[in-house]
Amino acid sequence: MKILKHSDVTPRNIYLGRREFVKALGIASAASLVSYPVSAEQDYSKKGKLNTFEEITNYNNFYEFGTSKTDPAEYAHNLTTNPWEITFDGITQNKRKFDISEILKGKPIQERVYRLRCVEGWSMVIPWIGFPLHELINQLELDYDTKYVAFDTIFRPEEMRGQRRATLDWPYREGLTIEEAIHPLTFIATGLYGRELPKQNGAPLRLVVPWKYGFKSIKSITKISFMKKQPFTTWNAENPREYGFYSNVNPNVDHPRWSQATERVIGEGLFGERRKTELFNGYITEVGDLYKGLDLKKYF
Amino acid sequence: MTLNTLLRSLPVSFLYCVLTIPIPLYFYLGTVNQLGPDPLRYLEHKYGELGLILLLVTLSISPILKYTKINLVKFRRCIGLVAFYYIISHICVYVFFDIGLSMDILISDLKKRYYIIAGLFAFITLIPLAITSNNFAVRKLNFKTWKKIHSLIYIAIVSSIFHFILMSKTWTGELYFYMAVTVIILILKIRETTIYKKLSTYSKADISK
Repeated sequence: MKILKHSDVTPRNIYLGRREFVKALGIASAASLVSYPVSAEQDYSKKGKLNTFEEITNYNNFYEFGTSKTDPAEYAHNLTTNPWEITFDGITQNKRKFDISEILKGKPIQERVYRLRCVEGWSMVIPWIGFPLHELINQLELDYDTKYVAFDTIFRPEEMRGQRRATLDWPYREGLTIEEAIHPLTFIATGLYGRELPKQNGAPLRLVVPWKYGFKSIKSITKISFMKKQPFTTWNAENPREYGFYSNVNPNVDHPRWSQATERVIGEGLFGERRKTELFNGYITEVGDLYKGLDLKKYF
Repeated sequence: MTLNTLLRSLPVSFLYCVLTIPIPLYFYLGTVNQLGPDPLRYLEHKYGELGLILLLVTLSISPILKYTKINLVKFRRCIGLVAFYYIISHICVYVFFDIGLSMDILISDLKKRYYIIAGLFAFITLIPLAITSNNFAVRKLNFKTWKKIHSLIYIAIVSSIFHFILMSKTWTGELYFYMAVTVIILILKIRETTIYKKLSTYSKADISK
């Protein structure tokens, strides 16, 4: 697997200086969640220009706070993310509830620069920090026949105003096959731009699966379940014809209501050119093997 | 001075300016990157939404006069035309910036995307209205024909609402709002049609028998 140094691809002037980055981590550590040194910077964004912190934190789909892209930035501050517990289902060990600090303990924080492709036809390049999901899964004792992993976003309508209306079948749920979940690219983000994860981006921790449409990367996770059967996933249940369980980025399989062949690059402005969407969002060398022999038109 | 006298003293040209200024203004803000992270989608939606709102306002003028006696009739042509300008701007943003003049995307959109088809249909039905929204046309056409052409606006508003529903991912509050306003306007209109009046007198006659 190709592991690029961040400095190989990112113009320094649009990113925080090294010293500022470390300082930001220090500040974050005082706030307790991101308290580990960066051990690696890995850029999988395929030479994209990083989006600014402002763009990444003011253009969000997080229907728990409202359906507009600006609602999350406006209302997410109401969510309490400390304390935060995660419940595990389908594991054989007795202890099933973990405080977030227990989950973060001993996992070196890495940086991953990924392109996020939304099913609506736009993309951003985001420098996440966090750890690969397999590091967490490896610590758990699973049944030998576990085939899927399901994730739940927290359900707290008193703090998440969007949940007071039945826009979606709350809580928001997503899922992966176990092979996808333990893939080295599958990431749990606890921050971005070296800072603690902003609430509108899914604090305190969220999934990032860069080769799938953005809605698979579930935010503010409160429950992780290991299952034998394919789990309920929110958008798939909402409209099975339009949103598949896999939802791998694929320019050759159109969304029934719009083309997926190209994408708008956020940050390029009104006159920006559309970018050609790549199969698996450009991560084909890394994840292509997962889908060998699978009919991607049928299992979209 | 009553509200109606005040309204009568307000020149149409003034309203015309106020309503059209946001078109170049929003475009300018888009070019200097002041419309948020996704200026294209912002501009496209803003023009479309304002076009829809102005169409609904145009349609509300008759019921407002009937039920509140507030007379806005002299502004109706202006508001309707400005709605049309917003819709043209909306389509321009789509054609020039969203799909970047790509004929391939345009053709596949027109073949496969129902919301694009509904939107285009709404636009086409509005063209004869816009063309005949001047004194010359009113004089040339007889009033009945002119009225018939202008009742196309009801088809346009229904297709516009479909355009909006079909492109939405979920049922949002604003979608419900625009649908509700449209339904109210349509109900009030249907109650005025001769068919409805005839039917209701028949049924009343039935009951009295």
